[in-house]
Amino acid sequence: MQQSIPESLKISPFMAAFVVVSMQIGIGVLGFQRIISKDAGYDAWMSVIGAGLAVHIIVWMMYKICEGVDGDVMAANIFVFGKTIGNSINTLFIIYFTMTCLTLLSGLIEVIRTWMFLSMHPIFFASVYLLLGIYIVNGGFRTVVGISLFGIVVPAYLLFSFLAPIRYGDFTNLLPIFDHTPVQMLKGAYNMTLTYLGYGVLLFIYPFIKKPKESKKWVHIGLTATMIFYTLLAVITFAYFPISLLQKSIWATLEMWKIVKLPFIERFEYLGLANWALIILPNVAISLWVASRVAKRVYHISQRKAVLFIAAVVLICVLMLDSRERINIFHDLQAKAGFILAFIYTPFLYILLLIKKKVNAK
Amino acid sequence: MKVTRILLTLLMCCLLLVGCNPRYERKVIDDINIATGMGIDKSGDQLKGSIMIPVFKADKSMENFLFTAKGTIMRDVAAQMQQKASQPIFSGSMDVALFEEVVAREGIVQVLDVFLRDPSVGARVHLAVVDGKAQEIFEGNYGDRGNAQYLKDLIEHNMEGGNLPLTNLHSFLFNFYQQGKDPYLPYLKQESPELVNITGIAIFKDEKVIDILHENKMFYFKLLVDKFSMGQVKVKEEHGEATVKSITSDTNMKLTKRKPYEITVQIKLKGLLTEHEGTRLEKNEVKDIEKELEKQINKTCLKLLEDFQKQKVDPIGVGHFVKTKTRNFNFEKWQTDYQDVTFKVSTNVRILEVGVVE
Amino acid sequence: MVRDMSIFFRRRRRQKEQDDKEQKKQPSSKGNAEKDKDKNKDDEKANKHAEEWEKELSKSTDYQKKDYINRKTGKKFIFTFIPTLVEEKVLDNNALPPLLEEEFLKIIDVKKLLPIADVEVSSDTKKIAQKLLDGYVLLTLEEDTREFAFFSAKKTVVRSVTSPEIEFSVIGPKEAFVESIGDNLNMVRTRLPVKELIIEEYTVGKLSRTKVAVIYIDGITNKEIINTVKQRIDDIVKDEIADSSYFTQLIADNGNSPFPQLLDSERPDRVASSLAEGKVAIIVDGSPHALIGPTSLTEFFNAFEDYFLNWILATFIRMIRLFAVVFSIMITPLYVAVVTHHYELIPKDLLVTLVASRRVVPFPPVLEALFLEVTIELLREAGARLPTKVGQTIGIVGGIVIGTASVEAGLTSNVLLIFIALSALASFTTPVYQMSNTIRLLRFPFLFMAEIWGILGMTIAFSFLIAHLLRLTSLGLPYMEPVFPLRLHDFKDALFRLPFSSQSKRPTFLRTGDSSRFSKDKAKKKKDIDE
Repeated sequence: MQQSIPESLKISPFMAAFVVVSMQIGIGVLGFQRIISKDAGYDAWMSVIGAGLAVHIIVWMMYKICEGVDGDVMAANIFVFGKTIGNSINTLFIIYFTMTCLTLLSGLIEVIRTWMFLSMHPIFFASVYLLLGIYIVNGGFRTVVGISLFGIVVPAYLLFSFLAPIRYGDFTNLLPIFDHTPVQMLKGAYNMTLTYLGYGVLLFIYPFIKKPKESKKWVHIGLTATMIFYTLLAVITFAYFPISLLQKSIWATLEMWKIVKLPFIERFEYLGLANWALIILPNVAISLWVASRVAKRVYHISQRKAVLFIAAVVLICVLMLDSRERINIFHDLQAKAGFILAFIYTPFLYILLLIKKKVNAK
Repeated sequence: MKVTRILLTLLMCCLLLVGCNPRYERKVIDDINIATGMGIDKSGDQLKGSIMIPVFKADKSMENFLFTAKGTIMRDVAAQMQQKASQPIFSGSMDVALFEEVVAREGIVQVLDVFLRDPSVGARVHLAVVDGKAQEIFEGNYGDRGNAQYLKDLIEHNMEGGNLPLTNLHSFLFNFYQQGKDPYLPYLKQESPELVNITGIAIFKDEKVIDILHENKMFYFKLLVDKFSMGQVKVKEEHGEATVKSITSDTNMKLTKRKPYEITVQIKLKGLLTEHEGTRLEKNEVKDIEKELEKQINKTCLKLLEDFQKQKVDPIGVGHFVKTKTRNFNFEKWQTDYQDVTFKVSTNVRILEVGVVE
Repeated sequence: MVRDMSIFFRRRRRQKEQDDKEQKKQPSSKGNAEKDKDKNKDDEKANKHAEEWEKELSKSTDYQKKDYINRKTGKKFIFTFIPTLVEEKVLDNNALPPLLEEEFLKIIDVKKLLPIADVEVSSDTKKIAQKLLDGYVLLTLEEDTREFAFFSAKKTVVRSVTSPEIEFSVIGPKEAFVESIGDNLNMVRTRLPVKELIIEEYTVGKLSRTKVAVIYIDGITNKEIINTVKQRIDDIVKDEIADSSYFTQLIADNGNSPFPQLLDSERPDRVASSLAEGKVAIIVDGSPHALIGPTSLTEFFNAFEDYFLNWILATFIRMIRLFAVVFSIMITPLYVAVVTHHYELIPKDLLVTLVASRRVVPFPPVLEALFLEVTIELLREAGARLPTKVGQTIGIVGGIVIGTASVEAGLTSNVLLIFIALSALASFTTPVYQMSNTIRLLRFPFLFMAEIWGILGMTIAFSFLIAHLLRLTSLGLPYMEPVFPLRLHDFKDALFRLPFSSQSKRPTFLRTGDSSRFSKDKAKKKKDIDE
């Protein structure tokens, strides 16, 4: 039933980490600080670490699921639930990843329209961006992975820009530690898990990894790197903003770039924002790829056609998400779906898989 | 191949559409008015805004041009100015924003809202309160690099190597929104049409100016509020006057007692002796100057702290400091507690160098 | 299998002949007459008989048939040849004296008699025409025309080996390939005198019958790469091939890409060292450029001279070159983007210069930039088309006069003029000519996107470029190597050039049969102080 992937199309275990990390870092980085500090205040940096550790556990489970069936999650679904239910669950993934693509694109367009081109019509940008996504996906999985590498390596210089706000920061903002109840911190952690989302892509790329066992190490290192990055970014942001100002800043990361000054560039945030288009690109490409691949596997249609179709759907939906209110509602919906998939569905599938294996063994 | 061709065609169509889109905006640098300075004055009941635009000439020199308009709210003023301008005014390159003292005493929160909402305004805009009219300052003529650049350089070099603590739009907003801390801004005065002087620091209570700190206290104020300071201070001792330039300073607050609060401010200062009135520097004189300076700093800083306490303002951030030491801190109760705080200042001065003469 | 095939063919031929006879017997109807004639012609071409090739060739005036009589036996023998292709000295000095003086009875004897290495005796009449066209002389005896001999007397018009012009280097070898494939192969063989160096020859093109040599080192070069090359050469359908650059386009993985996917070089030393790395070289007859593959993007920015320099200098120069490429592509679009959309980004001191210089220009920045870019392209093109000396003059005169005049006339700003001139200069640092052409082209899409969305548009254009490069392959291997797939080992000789001692391994992406170039133990060990 499952076609094996030719060796030449597989990626090295090291690259798997780049796919996962580039999928994690998306539009959320620009403004997660406000959301996590809503409940947990400036203790939220601990929520960041806590949520990061939870992600490790989920990823461990994902690996177990894939190892269990030696394939991707679609195979696992069919193995556990049978062909009919399994495939209908798989169809949900198409919808989820189409939504992810839509969230990212609409988020990016919103930021650009607020900061750069006030009167830009979303249709032009979205269509060019989606064409780019289709072009990448048509190049096959290797091209998608290549874009994730570039989507991390090229904008990596932005990390240095976060040093500038330190001069203006007051790190005593974080004191006193544990000023919030565990419940508040958990709420913060819950909000943070939404920013971490994206590692779920592992369930789909597993068959494409050359030595999956070896990739575990790299993926976990990648997850830890994301966690450290988010924690440091949160701490710097908390030092830079007093809490009531942070609550007003929708895109705190971008706001922080306003303080950066380089001898040849007066305003760094425009450069950072333009580069963000490159960071979002692997996200869009990967979600298009996953959605179309699932469509191919479930409905046996050509992946080229599936990508075109999904991109068209995304384009139409982007046009409908034209106000901040609608975008927020949609983003919340997508985040909740992501949370359910990661923290409820994954453990559930894992347990069912274990039971089923035991039963089969008997 | 076919797919690529179709994609390319689509892409071309998109780009052409964008190119022909009439709503599509451009901000070509020589077709816009780049606002570099903004001033708010009071004129009767209304606000009078002025915006300074550099006019670039072909021989690379520049002049300043001023748009002014009256209105009750900032957006109204801005709209009126756009009506007067032949090219749209953009505020993305704003360097300075000045407020007349009268305006600042009534509150500048309105203007701040404009700044907060508009992402094109940078965080490094310098705000200042003006003795006199902001418009008059803009009408002066300060050097060939443009008035905005002059004002910006004036404020910046005094922050880096003078007695002015670090202030800009971000730090103002930071102090404004930080609970248990109040903002402050430099206080400017036009001395002559070619010169502007920093004559003190405007102390805010929330969004309103309530006091102007005299310039001879700026050094001590900077010691208390800024992380490290480069400033000059005069010391008087038996041999005459001496000037000390501080290189680094470190200020720490310690909560020594609660109920009522007692706070010890520890100041460490390393400096150079830059000027000495006496004919010769005696053997122990450096030590004496250190002692004298310590005494002077202790006295003046304590005075500053107590003055602020009396006026119920807190630019130093004592409230924030106590909050960092207390779980479930209650800011409302702090309002009354602040009045009962006793301050102690202890200073340690070290003079490292006395210059190249003996 | 082969025999079966030949039997099959013979049968078919026989049948055709029968058909022909039948057709001749039966008077055909008028309508079919012309068709039949065509058919007959085709058939004639298919089975070239002695008379037929002679008829074809004798249409040209440069076809000669000469009779001679052997003095000892009195036998008559005939030389048939195409004098424009044949070196007459060989006939006069080498072939004729023994044939006229010595005794010979049969055609086989000629082989011993002639002091020429390439002598062949055959009875296959089909070969004759081709052999004559290859510069052979046909020798037949009057009494027995069934058997005949060929000997080579080819006249080749070749220029002598000169120094490389495109890939010039100050130090290092000064020889470059010439048009003759024999000379070129000679130059490569002399540099790699090992028995493992394999040269395989192919003939490509229905009309040009170009000789193509595929060179590789057996045991080092990956078999799959060799097979890919052979396969692609077999698949070529073009009738005429004038140069190796035809080949670059014909066997490229993606023909719709502006990027060259095979490296061409006129330096035998570069070809030899690429072969030693485990690559394949293709030499095409009539072309002074050899092709090297598989290649990667970074290789196009490496001059061979880099290897003649100390590694620190070479690395520095490579960095400069990479910077120049990025600068050359980005600077004009960046100017357009910033001046059109992002006035906020410009530092105040620069703003004065920029606005003052743009004040008098009536066009939007993008038109201004396009105007100058196109001017530069025109100058380049004119310089390339004109004779060298005139071309240089055009370049200088055009550059100075047009540039200054357009600034003075207020058509362009002088800041932009500086940027454009610098970017043109920077694009010349690319060592491979074909790549520098590509870079010339690349800045236009960037310019276009910069006009639309400023630096955001440039990011999009950059993403398209990266995506395109990631999709490219060279002979089936990724073009972006060693960046993607990431192979840290191969960085040693890509963006940097580390010392030879640290390059003990061949590039990993070539998957060579023998990955080690030399054993690392033998490489120098560090001495302790004062030993």
